[in-house]
Amino acid sequence: MKRRDLFRASSATLLALGAPAALVRWGTWPGWLELSDRANTPWLLLPMDDGQSDHLKAYGVTFRVLQRGGRAEWFLNHRGGSFLVPGDQVTVRDAALAGVSSEPVTEAQLIDLRAQLKQGNTDAVPLEKPPKVAVYAPPNASPWDDAVTMVLNYAGIEFDKVWDTEVGSQGLKKYDWLHLHHEDFTGQYSKFFLNYAGAPWLADMVQQNQRVAKALGYPNVPALKKAMANEIRAFVERGGFLFAMCTATETLDLALAATGVDIAAAYADGTPIDPEAARKLDWTRTLAFKDAQLELSPNVPAFSDIDGHQVNSLDRRQQLGAFKLFNFSATIDPVPTMLVQNHRDVIPDFYGLTTSFTKRTLKPSVTILADEPGAAWAKYIHGELGQGTWTFYGGHDPEDPQHQIGDPPTDLSLHPHSPGYRLILNNVLFPAAKKRELKT
Amino acid sequence: MTPRLRLFPFPVPRSLFPFLAVVVPTMLSAQDPLSRAFDLERRGSFAQAAEIYRGVLQQSPGEVTALLGLERSLTPINRLAELLPAVRAAIAANPSAAPIYSIGLRAYSAANLLDSLPHLVDLWALAEPGEESPYREWAASALQRRDRPMARRAYQAGRDRLGKPDALAAEMAQLASAEEDWPTATREWVRAVRQLQGYRSSATTVLANAPVAARPVVLSTLAKEPGPEAARIAVDLRARWGDPVGAFETLLGILPTPLPQQLDVLQGFLELTRLDGSAIYQLAQARTLEALADRWTNPPQRARFRLDAARAYAAAGQPEPARKVLGQIAADPGSGPAVAAGATTTLIELLVRDGKADEAAAQLEKYRSTVPVDDYLRLRRAVALRWAQSGALERADQMLAADSTIEALAVRGRIRLYAGDIKGASDYWRQAGPFAGTREEATDRSIWLALLQPIQPDTLVAFGQALQLLDRGDTLKAAQSFERIAAGLPPGAGGADLHLLAGRLQAATGRATDAERLFRAAMVKEMPGTAAAALLELGRLQLATDRRAEATQTLEEMILTYPTSALVPQARRLLDQTRNAVPRT
Repeated sequence: MKRRDLFRASSATLLALGAPAALVRWGTWPGWLELSDRANTPWLLLPMDDGQSDHLKAYGVTFRVLQRGGRAEWFLNHRGGSFLVPGDQVTVRDAALAGVSSEPVTEAQLIDLRAQLKQGNTDAVPLEKPPKVAVYAPPNASPWDDAVTMVLNYAGIEFDKVWDTEVGSQGLKKYDWLHLHHEDFTGQYSKFFLNYAGAPWLADMVQQNQRVAKALGYPNVPALKKAMANEIRAFVERGGFLFAMCTATETLDLALAATGVDIAAAYADGTPIDPEAARKLDWTRTLAFKDAQLELSPNVPAFSDIDGHQVNSLDRRQQLGAFKLFNFSATIDPVPTMLVQNHRDVIPDFYGLTTSFTKRTLKPSVTILADEPGAAWAKYIHGELGQGTWTFYGGHDPEDPQHQIGDPPTDLSLHPHSPGYRLILNNVLFPAAKKRELKT
Repeated sequence: MTPRLRLFPFPVPRSLFPFLAVVVPTMLSAQDPLSRAFDLERRGSFAQAAEIYRGVLQQSPGEVTALLGLERSLTPINRLAELLPAVRAAIAANPSAAPIYSIGLRAYSAANLLDSLPHLVDLWALAEPGEESPYREWAASALQRRDRPMARRAYQAGRDRLGKPDALAAEMAQLASAEEDWPTATREWVRAVRQLQGYRSSATTVLANAPVAARPVVLSTLAKEPGPEAARIAVDLRARWGDPVGAFETLLGILPTPLPQQLDVLQGFLELTRLDGSAIYQLAQARTLEALADRWTNPPQRARFRLDAARAYAAAGQPEPARKVLGQIAADPGSGPAVAAGATTTLIELLVRDGKADEAAAQLEKYRSTVPVDDYLRLRRAVALRWAQSGALERADQMLAADSTIEALAVRGRIRLYAGDIKGASDYWRQAGPFAGTREEATDRSIWLALLQPIQPDTLVAFGQALQLLDRGDTLKAAQSFERIAAGLPPGAGGADLHLLAGRLQAATGRATDAERLFRAAMVKEMPGTAAAALLELGRLQLATDRRAEATQTLEEMILTYPTSALVPQARRLLDQTRNAVPRT
């Protein structure tokens, strides 16, 4: 059923129930708004423009409304992508505790608001069910290692950590949304050997991965990671939402393309990279990329030419600029519109082991959500596979552009308005609207 | 007159013209290609420059300048592999030119012809026997490829072939440091320093980066190494790693015999003690300065070292050695008047700090003519405050009666408060304004003024006595006194604020139960600002005593009840920390 049809059906039901014609006329009144005892209940609008005192926690407040069985709406392109939540005591209290700005909205005001939403490139998307969130991260990973973990913690959005043991035993089936920690799915430990050989944390990482590979019956870590990449691909195909940042984006696709091909250096699996590897890669298996040039040298700290910035290769490194979010039609392209909701259009770029995605290597079906104007790379991309979707966001930490290993953790209470982090949270809430939106 | 174009900037005899007509074009044509190639390089036309260099090399294969130019031109256009034929020809033509081998190593390495590198190194070693350069360059090319094992093999090959186990020690040390192999790095750095003392600074800087867990290994490795070099590195490292006094003790035992060298070493160590302003570093600094003074022959400088030593001892909270050193200054006829005045000032400060206000006042008056005016006024205020704290309020007030500076007004306000004169203290502090004294003193006055504001009576003697107790360091009795005063005041007229103050003092002494009781007593509707602060303090206390659930409840209550309080962001941050949503910083 298309969303318009659903609204039409809802409107018919409301009329049958004797709802005021003024409400039904707009055809956008979602069925879950029971009119009997809540018609006069004020709503809360969580503005997401510059009037918001904590943009990141506003997502948490909305998420918890859904968790409590409540319903919310996402007003796309209205006041920075504001949220409408019930004005019940629990929500009011939650917003106040979180320091999230909220504005009471009466039923009459809401009708006016909906009328306004009809007039521009705006829309109201009902949010129905909180996604069950999993973060793929090693068991000993510190919460400060990963931007997604940090922002989920800060916003107060619940999630589980999963690792190879869970992924390898069909553990992803119980989750709707999966985030990939900055993992190297080629099994080469992010090529950290080049700069951090002998570092205790790297030795721990190697031992941990080797232990898991052995326990799950894989001959080496690259083989383990390839299997995990295929499990993750199957998760998306079945209808899961995948969100990946940093190296996980590029290496996931390289691992998928390299099924049956040795693309790992000898230090990782005991055998050198297949010299014909580049030719043998199967790009039909990948989510986002095609025809990328594999980096065959184990001594160059890069995986391929997918990354436009190549931060660790001094002779190839590109300077950071700023990336610009694309403007989509809220009614025709609600999914990309949700993913780019923000109070800023231009966002300062930030490095990661994979910072950006060269446009030449993107499959034609990929939707570019943000890119650096005039540059050959995109920053934020989205696509579909089977019943599910994936979103890739280059870089490591939106508020630590030059992130180095050992840097102090980012304190998000100092960046409550971070537009870069907002993009991550858009991805967390977007699955709550999935069932209606994907059919549009 | 027709201007003449001069070919040469100097007069040339006519007889030379036939000769120059032949030689000059030859010279120009010989230099031209290299100049042109260099110009092209500067303009970024690397491919063209490379062609010209190649042309020169075809004529003179052993021409090092051209070979270097060709390398420079091919590198930015990623064609370094094309250098190989030229390198081979250059070696054949000029086998004794060391730079050719260096270029060759880089070219072979860039072309990934790693098997050829040892042969090239052998050729270079034959051309320059006994030199470390071939092996150093070999390793450098390996490091360029981030191939540390190969670099290590190159260094080791150098040692073996040169028959010098200590050769290339600094390079080996840097390699081991990069790999965090701290025992090897330590041993190699000692070897490097033995060869060249100048490496000590690099050795200390690099080894100082060893993680805390590796530091004992570094120090034990140094202890096993013979000679003063290892001991000096250990001294420097201990000073950097928080044990400056222990380092100083060790240093005294290994000082070189010649006096100038002793002074040099001690002055170097003095810089290390200035890395940190903590008491332990101040103590090490004082002892180093004293040791320098004992060895210094020039009397004024010796006195200056002693004065600095006394000040450092005082800052480290060591009055006895400070006094001893000041006595030495007094007994030294060579101390100049400026040092003597400084010594007097320091001595009086020490007396005030020790509570000997009478003696300090006597000394101050005795040396009034030698002490600078600003120091005199500052010390007089300090003496007056000390008298006031010991109960001699009248005497203290009289001492400052003639002083109209804002600093004196601030001190007089404090003295009035010790007397329990709430109104008098407030008046003085308002007159003193926000700029009297240090920033900390100004903030302290603001806090007390805010506390005094709601108190109705003009005089509360008990308040002054409680404050005296607090300033003498008897926090517990002060807290009990403030609680008694609070009980006698209406909540909205100072009672709530004094309960909060008493609670904070109890919390500071670790009496959580009493503190909690007092915080709750401060939570009154009449004083919403105080109530919000009391809730925040209670939340902090509950967190400190590991009652996270209760703390969460308290902090939530604070945010929801007093949403406009300026303390709400602090409460929110504490809540975030409670649920690990933000790092604890």
